[in-house]
Amino acid sequence: MTNEVFAIEVNSLTKIYDKVPVVNSLSFNVKKGEIFGFLGPNGAGKTTTIKSILGLIRTNSGGIKINGIDISTDGKKIKKNIGYLPERVAFYQNLTAVQNLNFYAEMKNVPRGECINLIMEMGLKESAHKKVGKFSHGMRQRLGMARAMLGNPSILILDEPTGGLDPRGVKLIREKIRELNKKGATVFVSSHILSEIQAIADQVGIINRGRLVAKNNVSTLSNELKIKPKLILELKEVSEKTIKELKKIEGVEKVEIRGNKIEIICNAETRAKVIVAIEKAGGNIINMQTTEPTLEEVFMKYTEE
Amino acid sequence: MILNPIFYIAKKELMDNIRNTWIIIISIIFALLTILASYAGSYDKEWQSLELTISVMILIVQIVVSIIGLMLGYAAIGGEIERGSMNSLLSFPISRLEIIIGKFLGLGAVLSLTLLIGFGFAGIIISLNISNANFGGYLLFIGASILNGLVFLSLSLFYSSFFKTRIKSMGMAIFTWIIFMPILWALITGMILIASVSTEKLMAGLIPDWYFAINLINPQSAYSGLVSINIIELEADTVTSLPSFYNNGVLLSLILIWIIVPLILSYILFKRRDV
Repeated sequence: MTNEVFAIEVNSLTKIYDKVPVVNSLSFNVKKGEIFGFLGPNGAGKTTTIKSILGLIRTNSGGIKINGIDISTDGKKIKKNIGYLPERVAFYQNLTAVQNLNFYAEMKNVPRGECINLIMEMGLKESAHKKVGKFSHGMRQRLGMARAMLGNPSILILDEPTGGLDPRGVKLIREKIRELNKKGATVFVSSHILSEIQAIADQVGIINRGRLVAKNNVSTLSNELKIKPKLILELKEVSEKTIKELKKIEGVEKVEIRGNKIEIICNAETRAKVIVAIEKAGGNIINMQTTEPTLEEVFMKYTEE
Repeated sequence: MILNPIFYIAKKELMDNIRNTWIIIISIIFALLTILASYAGSYDKEWQSLELTISVMILIVQIVVSIIGLMLGYAAIGGEIERGSMNSLLSFPISRLEIIIGKFLGLGAVLSLTLLIGFGFAGIIISLNISNANFGGYLLFIGASILNGLVFLSLSLFYSSFFKTRIKSMGMAIFTWIIFMPILWALITGMILIASVSTEKLMAGLIPDWYFAINLINPQSAYSGLVSINIIELEADTVTSLPSFYNNGVLLSLILIWIIVPLILSYILFKRRDV
């Protein structure tokens, strides 16, 4: 029997607001060094869970451990190893980017020099000495990421880190997440952008109505849900005859036409039959590809009403 | 070790107020008011002694310093929660107690500096124009005025921890000022009139002890009492016979209670608050 120490352990966490359980007996673990994607529809309890992990809100029941230490016993010590990017990034408006980071750096006994380095890393060199009150949402988000990285924390908790960012900002934050993870940091990231999570997360947890409905890697979750890969065929022309022939094939579950493309959901064994049938019907295949089930499909299945 | 986060919070609050020149503006106002009270406060247009200047300034301190104390702290906790900066702050290794103490010390330093600079500058100007200036008494007046301001700062921190929005906290701060300035004063004065204490007796300084006791509900009265019994020398025929409990120990204790209790309540409420 192994006694693995997890980066984050959430045990039967319950938080009730106005007699409504926003988080209901939620339990999950995040292994050290992994990127954990935390998903759920709006109001599912993601931010409440994150705030509970950080001790920002009082929970009704349950326990939370960070690196094996109960947050209620030594919150200050634990927080030295945590970097947090909130969903709503806020700074002191009348202070510059550097002054803001210097203030937070003092809390962690981080040398001031690190602040300007992080600001530059996040592409804010030109704005380092501008008041944050004049920053755009995207700039604040980048500065928020810099703040979360102060002191090289072993756990990063990011709540919607790419919300409202332009594609360049999204790319930068994604790269930072990967870079920090490579250096050994555990990343707990909640996001609405499912493709983002699919691209970076090792494990995914899906929360719905305050309960964890799924936790695994994306491919395992797809298998559990029996979501099959898609076969996408690009034809010179899609005829009625071709569609009829395809629908006759045993094992073909769904056929969708998008212009001159046909999307087919079927078993791997059926794919050959599909191609033969198209050619028999006079179809001319220009291009062919298969796509793995997306996290969006998994997410929709688990959170459907 | 525990002092570090408190110091950083306090330093930030102080620096914020220095940056926005708030301290300088209020200090100038205090200096001008004090100089005006000393020079223009008499008919003969001559500089008055520091004692007489203080007797004029007590009311101004009661009115203005209480407002400053309330305005400094009403958004200190709730405002940061509303803006969203508190959750980031609390994700760092700092406790809620350290935040409350740091804010109180930082804002208290702002208030103290404002009064020290304003009254200090005015005191120097006045002392250059009068002989035998009572510096000790004047310093005591500044100290008591700072304590009076800290009472209202502590109260405003309590409101800031209690109310969910800045607007409600500010509303309560304004209500507090109205209560402790005109309303409580009018109520207590009304009580003495209802109690049929004759005007002649009042003029002769024969005020019943219970009036003094009830008056001490108001921290502003404890402040004016403390300054009066130590600094202002009234003429013998107008000296009111003060009850025995009207002494430094009691008055100072009352002011300190008014500072400490709201501060403790503020921490208790903040500790229980979700951010």
